[in-house]
Amino acid sequence: MSKRQKRFQVLAERPVNKDGFIKEWVEVGLVAMENPNDPKPGIRIQDGKVAELDGKKRPDFDMIDTWIADHCIDTSVAQEAMALDSLQFARMLVDINVPRSEIVRLSVGMTPAKILDVIKKLNVVEMMMAMQKMRPRRTPSNQAHVTNLKDHPVLLAADAAEAAFRGFSELETTVGVGRYAPMNALSILVGSQTGRPGVITQCAVEEALELSMGMRGLTAYAETVSVYGTDQVFVDGDDTPWSKAFLASAYASRGLKMRFTSGTGSEVQMGYAEGKSMLYLEIRCVMVAKGAGVQGLQNGSISCIGVPGAVPSGIRAVLGENVATVLMDLEVASGNDQTFTHSPIRNAARMLMQFLPGTDLIFSGYSSVPNYDNMFAGSTHDCDDYDDYLVLQRDLQIDGGCIPVKEEDVIMIRNKGARAIQAVFRDLGLPSVTDEEVEAVTYAHGSRDVPDRNTTEDLSSIDAFMKRGGNGLDVVRALAKNGFTDVAEAVLGILRQKITGDYLHTSAILEGNFDVLSAVNDPNDYKGPGTGYRLEGARWEILKDIPQAISPADI
Amino acid sequence: MSDEQISALVDRMARSKGVDVSPDLIQEAVKRVMAVLSGESAPSVISSLKRLDPRSDYPIAQKRPDLVRTATGLKLEEINLDQVQAGKISFNDIKIRPETLEYQAQIAEAVGRPQLAGNIRRAAEMTRITDERLLEIYEALRPYRSTKKELLDIASELETQYQARACAAIVREAAEVYDKRGRLKSS
Repeated sequence: MSKRQKRFQVLAERPVNKDGFIKEWVEVGLVAMENPNDPKPGIRIQDGKVAELDGKKRPDFDMIDTWIADHCIDTSVAQEAMALDSLQFARMLVDINVPRSEIVRLSVGMTPAKILDVIKKLNVVEMMMAMQKMRPRRTPSNQAHVTNLKDHPVLLAADAAEAAFRGFSELETTVGVGRYAPMNALSILVGSQTGRPGVITQCAVEEALELSMGMRGLTAYAETVSVYGTDQVFVDGDDTPWSKAFLASAYASRGLKMRFTSGTGSEVQMGYAEGKSMLYLEIRCVMVAKGAGVQGLQNGSISCIGVPGAVPSGIRAVLGENVATVLMDLEVASGNDQTFTHSPIRNAARMLMQFLPGTDLIFSGYSSVPNYDNMFAGSTHDCDDYDDYLVLQRDLQIDGGCIPVKEEDVIMIRNKGARAIQAVFRDLGLPSVTDEEVEAVTYAHGSRDVPDRNTTEDLSSIDAFMKRGGNGLDVVRALAKNGFTDVAEAVLGILRQKITGDYLHTSAILEGNFDVLSAVNDPNDYKGPGTGYRLEGARWEILKDIPQAISPADI
Repeated sequence: MSDEQISALVDRMARSKGVDVSPDLIQEAVKRVMAVLSGESAPSVISSLKRLDPRSDYPIAQKRPDLVRTATGLKLEEINLDQVQAGKISFNDIKIRPETLEYQAQIAEAVGRPQLAGNIRRAAEMTRITDERLLEIYEALRPYRSTKKELLDIASELETQYQARACAAIVREAAEVYDKRGRLKSS
């Protein structure tokens, strides 16, 4: 075009036009949820075993088919569930007169293609209605990321303290440099218990290392245990459903909560989607998780969000995979993490899909640090978006899991987290933390505002700590010895969870007094208006009280 | 072993070794060892326990703390900061024991989650396996790591050494499926 129309020139510069979009390409599986190559729903049970699954006979089963057939599908209801018309079942999902328990009784007898067929019948508002009713825990909650570019332990402790103080139930860290993992885990453990006792923490690294840190009491749960929807990608991920199921039990055997991770788009991104739709493959992942007996799943595309984000109905499919997870009666940590768009409008719209109905953990997680410090490739929302998020909660009377805070309180809690880790480092013989560092992290926006540490020293000292069998109890002793009695009590409180195992149950989080809140003692009882979780009473008073609101008395 | 027998044993140990350790401390240590070695953790005992009710018994920490012991036989209330500071708690005291996992499996079953219950029961078996061996077996289950025979040997080990029947079943199943789908180590 020789002459541009001026409105189009402006539009071309808009953030959304920096995003990548692609037309559907059915043959390679670059399609969200409508693919003629997806199998047709069907099941044949013979002698109590699945003999045929979605048109495939047992001798032709791949590994994932075999796992789903033998470990996931409830064959005692399968015939009844599969005979139901998909449209009728989809309507039951949004019918307030059909309780969650009746839906779950049937959905666990369905095949992957059947679940897909049901979810395809729902628009996003209906999916949100389904989520509102079907998430396992009545009370919604949220998870945060706590990381930084330098793996700076003192900053991690301060950030974890602030994130816990702001109301997140779970904190997740990871590393820039792999060997830092135990130090990062230690730092957010101490920080989190300073901010709010009962917040549980994890450190996402390679499977075996992650488990060994949990065994040492440096983490309380795990989530980065990835599963995939095709055999080839599963194997490329260096696991099988059997190895992952074994790993899941290993966690529980040490009293550690855990969930699996998956997401639409991973198979096509790794080049082996077998020409199936993203959502169909993701439903297979959900059912692998269900069969393994893990209590929950992190999904919502996660690190592959660019793929469904680029195709039509892709963000709808991402909500659809969250719905598939709760249909399998699993805890859902519903994504909203990796950055996928330049457009703030798209970004907020994608988040509302989980924020409005509420999920077990709306984000997995929300970046509690500036996105430049987020080592999970950013999150849709970061610490600079806190006030927008709090105002959204207040505007819509929605509990998104975050509470308004005062600047002076945050300064105090960051400082305390930093001083607590300073004491722990001194006591455990880890490289010293200077008062200047404590001061810097207390007031920092991110790692650009804090001095570098001697990385070599940090790494060799944490190696030595691990080598000599250092563990969570050493942390408790160090805190208590240095006057941080309340934090010591809290870290010990986390360790005690591993003796009772109450938080191994579906959708378990801990309240400030370490009482477990899970789908067992806080089951979702939504049955329409006037039922289920309502943001009201004392909690609403807290959430609506943002510091920047003017009081009529002040005018 | 009765308390009297333990006392006698402790007394003999203290005298024969000529050690300067308080008999109380040794007695405590012996009791804990006995708790681990005793038949308390045997599967036959577990299965005869009264099944828990999610409404009246969960969370166990609040509603049935009487049922909880650590792997070394301590009560939940004994895991407190005073005891930690007095050096009376070791990291081995902060481990779950199979009976507790069995209780949690019963609760999972009662709320309609048989797969979660199965996972927790495999976990109960795994409490008898060391961290190192557990990680090795996980590694062996990853694709192309093991021959069929190696996997079947692990399954036998799980059964005979650890009475881990449910775990063994998973490993046997893996051996069959890996064989069929070409995921074994080429020998």
